[in-house]
Amino acid sequence: MTGKLPPGALAGIVIIEIAERPVGEQTGKLLADFGAEVIKVERPGGSPTRAMGPLKDGKSAVFGYFNTNKKSVVLDLANQADRATLDRLLARANALIDDHDEAWGAARGLTMAAVASAHPHLVHCAITPFGQGAPADWQNAQSINVINAGGWAYHTPSEAKPDKPPLKGAGRFLPDYEAAIDAAMAVLASLHRQRKSGAGQFIDISEVEVQMNRIDGVLDRMLAGDVEPSAERTAYDMGGPATCFACQDGHVYLFMTTKAHWTALSALMGDPDWISEFEPDWLEFHCTRERVEQFRCHFRPWIAQQSKLAVTEAAQKAGLAMVPINTAADLPKNEQFIHRGFFQELDGLAYPTVPYRMSASPVRLVSPAPALGAHDPELGGA
Amino acid sequence: MADPDRVLPARGGPLAGVRVLEITKVWAGPYAGKMLAHLGAEVIKVESATNLDEMRAYGGVDINSAPYFLSINQEILSVQVNMKTDEGLALVKQMVAQSDIVIDNIRPGAMERSRLGYDELKKIKPDIIQCSIKMWGNDGPLGYQTGYAPCFAALSGLTNLVGYEGETPEGMNIRYGDATAGGLAALACIAALHHRERTGEGQFIDHSAVESMTSLVGDSLFSYSLTGQVPQSDGNFHPEMCPHGVYPCADGEWISIAVANETEWQQLCAELSATALETDPHFASLALRLENRHALDKALGELCRSHTSEILAGQLRQAGVPAFRSQSSIDLCSDNFLWARTAFRMVTDHRNGSRPIIGPSWRMEPDMATVERGAPLLGEHNEYVYREILGLPQDALDDLIARKIVN
Repeated sequence: MTGKLPPGALAGIVIIEIAERPVGEQTGKLLADFGAEVIKVERPGGSPTRAMGPLKDGKSAVFGYFNTNKKSVVLDLANQADRATLDRLLARANALIDDHDEAWGAARGLTMAAVASAHPHLVHCAITPFGQGAPADWQNAQSINVINAGGWAYHTPSEAKPDKPPLKGAGRFLPDYEAAIDAAMAVLASLHRQRKSGAGQFIDISEVEVQMNRIDGVLDRMLAGDVEPSAERTAYDMGGPATCFACQDGHVYLFMTTKAHWTALSALMGDPDWISEFEPDWLEFHCTRERVEQFRCHFRPWIAQQSKLAVTEAAQKAGLAMVPINTAADLPKNEQFIHRGFFQELDGLAYPTVPYRMSASPVRLVSPAPALGAHDPELGGA
Repeated sequence: MADPDRVLPARGGPLAGVRVLEITKVWAGPYAGKMLAHLGAEVIKVESATNLDEMRAYGGVDINSAPYFLSINQEILSVQVNMKTDEGLALVKQMVAQSDIVIDNIRPGAMERSRLGYDELKKIKPDIIQCSIKMWGNDGPLGYQTGYAPCFAALSGLTNLVGYEGETPEGMNIRYGDATAGGLAALACIAALHHRERTGEGQFIDHSAVESMTSLVGDSLFSYSLTGQVPQSDGNFHPEMCPHGVYPCADGEWISIAVANETEWQQLCAELSATALETDPHFASLALRLENRHALDKALGELCRSHTSEILAGQLRQAGVPAFRSQSSIDLCSDNFLWARTAFRMVTDHRNGSRPIIGPSWRMEPDMATVERGAPLLGEHNEYVYREILGLPQDALDDLIARKIVN
């Protein structure tokens, strides 16, 4: 994937990433994918994410994913000479991405004030679980703590059972991906200001506040008293029969709210007798928990016999929002993902990329995650 | 004297001077607009009484004080125009000519049918940035399909990874997905601004809500590519930390605990006075704890049950063990730390004077954009848009209103 590629949207922008957690690495990745030169500063021995499994031939899938399109330089920021090298890098950079706690930055002369004073042109983004100024003991939080502190875990899954624990979300790093979006967005906005004014800015991102912002349409109505906030695990739910079902070869998701949906589903199933137990408009006017459960009891044995792709394709054509629950193995074979080129191949591996196809500055996977210190010679690393 | 309806307060912020037109509905599109507005852009929502954003209507309430709408659209301007008329569409095009970015999330093909596709907009403003958010993107074999957030989460690969081990996956809460898709769209729009600054060139951003969700499980998908192992829903499992979970406490509360090393494990046992666990050979290393994690989770659940979540979490953190109360909606709304940090803040409200909102996740120093005005009344900024931006005389605007082109 080299040759005459158009430059990315951020061509010419230089970002220094001293972050060492997935949240900061994903922030750097989002910017690198837009074509910024992202220089990852790694401690001697490498970023802690290099040790995160699964490993293949000693290489981490986590590091391999979060650090494509970046350069690597090894610096021990507790060492004066290396710290001075960082300053030289910052002097020619546009932005600095950090995701350590405040004490770490203070010990290395990387506080907001120190960086602003030494490099007034620089956009300095600090990502922490609860934002700057949080109590010291709150700053040592893992992703599962963040998603629980922010409310999504408590209210996941929908129809949460009282005896089953709140869930951490998909994979290990869902709140990291979320906070990285806001961090990258704020950095890009600030770099836009830097283009106009030459001036830097300090950006303080709270991972927990990102979690809360993503539920504005529900949580804000509680905050304002339009709806009672509550300790119910189901407080974010919508009600209705929408849920996941097991089918013959996997799982499907059914979303249904109208009489038209109900009629379509009935036809899809060949109008079985039990349909007459329900009023045609029950979804709109008689949608109690008991009815929902009654429906599911009838529906489960039928859907269990169906094949995922055939039944959902027939449903879509009938105007019913029933979709396959795709797995990691399904996606690279999915015709729409193929059409959009969502997976890009590098060295025989399929990398998921980004949800935006940009006509003038397409996102390109150019290089795999760098070897530790691969760019030391050009950047003055150890 | 300047007409107050035609002068807007300067809000500052890094996107000051950027104008965004949004033709959006419900959540994902408006959320993209909100992100840009909260960063300082001037975001104008094109609306009409003849084709309302459903969020103004939910609950059968006054369209100017609908809770769903108020909860998302702070610092957004509202201009009315009936896009079902040629004259209305011509006015929208005049607005496009004065804008930097146009965002839509209406049905596939609808922008093109209104002759507001990228090829048309480019003729009006050659360097326009257009971002179109669709469930599956704007074309392709499945591009015609539409759906709701839990559908695109299911299609994306994300839902399959959320649930309890060995059970049917459950996915995130049904409300998850729209806001994230909108956030990623806003990100791409700002990247496109940079491209325009450097080259003078605008572009079309074809945004997929399904892929937005997929991009949140990138490492899991890449792991599959690397190892051939298909990841499944796995409860609260973490391959490098154990215990790693959410445990029941007193009064129906829960606590999240994540133990990354032996020191943290010993501290956890000490704080819970769990000598039996600490000395149990089944739990003597990370590998053993992972192997016996179901027994360990059960034992921890029993130990936590007598504790108050908030107090236990504080004790554990003081001892160096990452822990936090699993917060409910009421915990969040009443959290003093969040209020003190202005995570919640007040904006103006036409009916009640003020309204609390969930503020941006960022603080900027200096030059944070102000976020002070609540969601707009329908057409609240007609005067500003038609008189100030488009330069129409008052009688022309009055005529458009009288003929319901502006309505």
